[in-house]
Amino acid sequence: MHRRLWFSLIGVVLIVSTTLAANLATGNTPILGLDLQGGVSVILAPTEPATNEDLLVIRDLIRDELESRGIAEPDVRVQGDTIVVDLPGVRDQQEALSAVDVSGVVELRPVLNFSDCPVPDATDPALGLGDDGSLAPAGTVAGSEEPQGFRRSAPDPDTTTPETVPETIPDTVPDDTVPVTPTPVPTGVPGAELLPTRDGAVQCVGPAQGTGEVFERGSATLTLDAGFGVAVDLRGDGQATWNNLASQCYNAAPTCPSTQPGVRGQIAIVLDSVVQSSPQVNQPNFTDSVAITGSFTREEAEALVAVLNRGAFPVEVEAQEARTVSASAGSDSLQAAVIAGLLGMVLVVGFLIAYYRWLAIVIVGGLVVWAAMVFSLASLVSGWTNYALSLAGITGIIVAIGVTVDSYVVFFERIKDELRNGRTIKNAAPRSFKMTWRTILSADVISLIGAFILFWLSVGSVRGFALYLGLTTVADLLVCYFFTRPAVLLLARTKLMARREKVLGLEVATA
Amino acid sequence: MTFDTTIAPTGFGRLVKGQTAIDFYGRRRGGFIAAAVVVLITVVSLFTQGLNLGLDFEGGDAWDIPASETFGVDEAQEVLDANDVSTTGARIQLRSSETADVITVQVEELPREQAAEVTADFAAAAGVTVEDISFSFTSSTWGGEITEAAVRALVIFLFIVAIFISVRFEWRMALSALTAMAHDVVAAVGVYSVFQFEVTPATVIAFLTILGYSLYDTIVVFDRVRENEGKFAGVRMPYVDVVNISVNQVVVRSVITSMSSVLPVISLLLVGSGLLGAVTLREFALALLVGMLAGVYSSIFIASPMLATLKARTGRTSHRERLTGDRLRAAVIGAGFTGRVEAAPEPQPAVVGATHDGSDTDDGSLVQPADRLLTHPPRPRKKKRR
Repeated sequence: MHRRLWFSLIGVVLIVSTTLAANLATGNTPILGLDLQGGVSVILAPTEPATNEDLLVIRDLIRDELESRGIAEPDVRVQGDTIVVDLPGVRDQQEALSAVDVSGVVELRPVLNFSDCPVPDATDPALGLGDDGSLAPAGTVAGSEEPQGFRRSAPDPDTTTPETVPETIPDTVPDDTVPVTPTPVPTGVPGAELLPTRDGAVQCVGPAQGTGEVFERGSATLTLDAGFGVAVDLRGDGQATWNNLASQCYNAAPTCPSTQPGVRGQIAIVLDSVVQSSPQVNQPNFTDSVAITGSFTREEAEALVAVLNRGAFPVEVEAQEARTVSASAGSDSLQAAVIAGLLGMVLVVGFLIAYYRWLAIVIVGGLVVWAAMVFSLASLVSGWTNYALSLAGITGIIVAIGVTVDSYVVFFERIKDELRNGRTIKNAAPRSFKMTWRTILSADVISLIGAFILFWLSVGSVRGFALYLGLTTVADLLVCYFFTRPAVLLLARTKLMARREKVLGLEVATA
Repeated sequence: MTFDTTIAPTGFGRLVKGQTAIDFYGRRRGGFIAAAVVVLITVVSLFTQGLNLGLDFEGGDAWDIPASETFGVDEAQEVLDANDVSTTGARIQLRSSETADVITVQVEELPREQAAEVTADFAAAAGVTVEDISFSFTSSTWGGEITEAAVRALVIFLFIVAIFISVRFEWRMALSALTAMAHDVVAAVGVYSVFQFEVTPATVIAFLTILGYSLYDTIVVFDRVRENEGKFAGVRMPYVDVVNISVNQVVVRSVITSMSSVLPVISLLLVGSGLLGAVTLREFALALLVGMLAGVYSSIFIASPMLATLKARTGRTSHRERLTGDRLRAAVIGAGFTGRVEAAPEPQPAVVGATHDGSDTDDGSLVQPADRLLTHPPRPRKKKRR
């Protein structure tokens, strides 16, 4: 028993001080937020005139995209006709520029016969032309599509070229791709162009008749009904656009002809000039939702869901320039918060020493271990996740001091109760800890639940708050069990504690 | 190894020694009325003047001014101050690239004329023409989606917390704790609405902090209630008394904890924003201060009486009066009170108890009942190898 307590006490101090030393030695400190340290700012501008609503939609999409890539708490806003993205914790401007390269426009275009398309440049490898100048057969890239595939920005031929194009024609060509007609005729429908599909084939598509905005964001789901499919809801104002296109294709109108006998017209869903899917239309009118079926593989269906859920940029945006940004709160704010926090700590410790006398050394030791632990955890976590510590976060940690001190207060008050009931301190300490631990566990578990849920479900600075709430709470529980418990239990056995009235500051109360 | 068991004559002394006997339940109306007033003020204020949403929520005006050696962040700040533009929520940053350095100033939306004046002043201060300064509207960074996601997360969190408390404690405690929490957040929001402080993302974080702190504090009190519930079950103690006893037992913890939580915040408020002049901190710290004080207050004066009220109708009914005064005190200090002692002895102003030397000091202390000490003494320790 005795030995285990020493083991735990020394162990925790050793582990915490080693981690702290390692963090300090490697210069690994928590990333500070935009308000404290500044960062890099990137200015994005739309490539064509855009309304303010469009820009606001892009703002939200960019923020989501950045967060999903682990760039935490970006500050994205529309300023004038541009979008300004401030990134905390990004070191150089080049890194920032590539980070915000999230452009992506989803277009809905009718699928045309190849005869409607202008003759492609025969040397363009992206269009899958064979050596002899004829179009290569449609191939399928086996299996999977990496998520990054959807973040391709500009229609750069190099990046859209599939990595492997099988030499042989696969046994099953998915219904949603069009068999290539090997007779290109150099006439054309205005706006028609040949676009590569995800599996390396090419398709001739007409001018865009709608954008991904017709779909409700985040409503796409995977369905499994005689093969994988995708269900997606139409937005109230997008329904007319979609139905307009759908009825053309259903009726195989000249603008959306039937490209194969017995097959109705097809709508191509194009992301950044890559055809993601081109389902045929089986009904002229859709209300509220659209079901896209075909011989999808699971991966293909999931990829389409991801594209539709990611949402569409109403217009394309381009990064214009990157700048480094200074801290917005001013460097004196951080200094003031730290000074005030330290002073507050000193006040609290002074107050507790006056009240608990010798027992307060446990509190002081515990707070030091706690602070070191929080610092180390914050450094490690912000290294992994890019969550920055903002001014709000620092003040949150200052508030957490109060909650941490509470564990000691609950414990010591309980010990006093037991002493008043006539127990010896040796006997009272373990009993009190058992009770205290239950109380603290209940209260802290609620904080942890809150931290988990807020981190999991929310975005932006709320998420950062949740992270630091979780960290301080975990540190509180660890310190309480592995430091405070052995320290007090060991102290309770010493001779010092025999004169407990003075030791516990109890004579203050004795009138 | 005796221990001073006399009742302290002063209120503070009794508090420190855990000998208070405050009839919190009897004073529940005061607590409820105070809470109702707070909520009412907040609601009225929210409806009449609403919240002063800051730059990040509503957008505002932005200037891009060429930076030079004579014109930097501090100079821009001075221009704003000279024009009486509030800089609490303002953001003044230096943006530098290889080609040019620019000071970006963002403030809440200003009237057209004032904005034009500020533009002219910036031009004068920076030594450039008005045309060199780009003035534009800047949107919010905190889009509706962030609020939506945060609210959804919060609702789910509260739901799970309610289930957690219901399972680990009971549903009445969950209801009381959440009510008290709502009160605290409303109180903090009220401060922002009444004084028209600018709401920033940091404020939202402050509200969340308050929410967590309030729940934490209430759970600590309720844990004692539940513990005492079991302890007094054998003597059929009415629930109202159990709550009163428990709150009296933890009140000293509440006071010390709130002292140690509030001290750093006060330091933040006075030293950080007052002496060191970090304005950003001021309103934030004020909201935290109000919320934390409300958190401690509400767990004692709202959550606990509410729990007792909810439970009083369902639990053990008792014909006798609620414990008050010295009889409550006796129960609080665990003086072997059995609940069956219907006719408790008249409080005698004499000390009979086990004081240090047994001397009688007639200081108005309570009689220590004979069975004041443990009903069963601690088990003798075994002489085993340690």
